[in-house]
Amino acid sequence: MVNMNANVSGIQNTMKGILEQKSVQPGNNSGNSSLPKIGSLDHKSADFGDAVKAINNYISKVDDLQTSSDMSIKDLLSGKNEDITSVVSAVAKADLSFKLLVGVRNKLIEAYKQTMNMQV
Amino acid sequence: MEVENNFGPVDIAISGLRAQGKQIEIISSNVANARTTNAGNGEPYRRLEATFKSDSDTGGVKLDKILTDTSEFLKVLDPGHPLADENGYVAMPNVNLPVEMMNLTIATRVYQANTAVLKRYQQMVETTLELLR
Repeated sequence: MVNMNANVSGIQNTMKGILEQKSVQPGNNSGNSSLPKIGSLDHKSADFGDAVKAINNYISKVDDLQTSSDMSIKDLLSGKNEDITSVVSAVAKADLSFKLLVGVRNKLIEAYKQTMNMQV
Repeated sequence: MEVENNFGPVDIAISGLRAQGKQIEIISSNVANARTTNAGNGEPYRRLEATFKSDSDTGGVKLDKILTDTSEFLKVLDPGHPLADENGYVAMPNVNLPVEMMNLTIATRVYQANTAVLKRYQQMVETTLELLR
């Protein structure tokens, strides 16, 4: 499955940074060292590109399932295969995985759009 | 989690469909041969019974063996029958049609239950994916 954890941990780290910034008392501004640096937090590869790369792998798996479902339907219609349950199985798997792929893709595009519309 | 693990219930339900399909096939063979006096070995047809075993790899079910029912043949009094013995009895297959009909109903219901599981699982996955929206 697509590794959504990378994104989630990234958001968590950012949130942590924001919370820590708020907790800094106003009188205690003696030096920059007291301000928490987001970059110093141990976040590992939490960029958007990794999520997109991870989905590439999943797309090929979904495509394999789609192809095998197509093949089983063709085999059934051409009379090569008479086992209808295998067709049902292949189609159900292709359907479920494709729905998941579409859901994740919509979520990624939504995240991208939200990021692009962010006021800087 | 691997992608394939999400399809566990699908595979199990499909294995149930296959098993019950086989069961229905055997019942239809029993019904079709309910009056067969010669099953190729000189004896009347012996009714078949399918046994199933669980597939420990997937958690599904698979056909174990197709066994023959060793109970007595049915003796029918029909002195005019060419295969009648000296007492006028003809050996008929040990197939009991009402029993076969009951087994057929059970097999059909189990088949329906497996399709219901498959359908409900698909709905469950779709409900889960709704959360992504």
